[in-house]
Amino acid sequence: MAVGLRHFTARAGNGSGEPILDADNGEELVHVQPSVSVAVGDRAPESPGTLYITTRQVIWLSELDREKGYAVYFLSLSLHAVSRDPEAYPSPCIYTQIETEADEVEDESKDSDSECSEVLDLSKIREMRFIPSDANQLDTLFQVFCECAELNPEPIEEGEEEGHNWIFSADQLEDEAGAGDDVEWHFSQNPTNTIGHSNGHHDLASSVLELQINDQRFEDAEEMEQDSDTGHHHQSQQ
Amino acid sequence: LFFSYFKDLVGREVTVELKNDLAIRGTLHSVDQYLNIKLENTRVVDQDKYPHMLSVRNCFIRGSVVRYVQLPPEEVDIELLHDATRREAR
Repeated sequence: MAVGLRHFTARAGNGSGEPILDADNGEELVHVQPSVSVAVGDRAPESPGTLYITTRQVIWLSELDREKGYAVYFLSLSLHAVSRDPEAYPSPCIYTQIETEADEVEDESKDSDSECSEVLDLSKIREMRFIPSDANQLDTLFQVFCECAELNPEPIEEGEEEGHNWIFSADQLEDEAGAGDDVEWHFSQNPTNTIGHSNGHHDLASSVLELQINDQRFEDAEEMEQDSDTGHHHQSQQ
Repeated sequence: LFFSYFKDLVGREVTVELKNDLAIRGTLHSVDQYLNIKLENTRVVDQDKYPHMLSVRNCFIRGSVVRYVQLPPEEVDIELLHDATRREAR
């Protein structure tokens, strides 16, 4: 999968103008938002266009120029946010940051370079904004971005420092399409839920014991079927 | 281990530093098993590298781009973390 922003021109010839997706690999269209402008890097917004959000990537296709379109894989989106502050940007928009190959390297050629040149080097673009004509759609768009981003976790096999990737990787790598169900968000509005979710039995206030139990549970999780971190089995070894 | 640790911190103010040097302060809204982070009431900390993010209401940060998560010191029990990570490493 290509890192960074890309040109996208593959449209269906049937007149619908929809992007051609990688259906063989399970890519599906999740959301379509017409009347969206896109601002690439520091450039002025381009419009009109339609935003297509798929399970793998975000695609913007120009309605004026059938050869113009941009796409970026969710794997390359470092973050996305709702921007409503007029000081940050005149129009309310979804602000996104794109991870480029150059990010790890000291790269001095920033957006300004690509702005000045005739040919836009998309792979160096680090920010992109999507400006819907209807600002009320921003929250919906943000939610869709979140859901689809969750469908695209890092495809690493080795465990990270935390160790929890080991536990879930076997399950998660098999079932990335359904990962949306598996991903659990724990919210502050529901403290009991937060507490309860750790292992379903104990109060997180008893932290030390809690962490012990969680450790045991995480180790065992590889052997058992589990679709969330609320494993109902745990070995209490006190 | 850290997933459950971060769940404990939901509702607290944290600063997330990304691998691209951007630092974002906000209230930890939620976290998932990939350590994707959702922050609310975010503001950029002292960073001019990406000034356009001055104030966004909430944001989603991909777990893989996080370099550090700065925690409120009063929330951190060093001994506890020490013990837990030692156990985890065994």
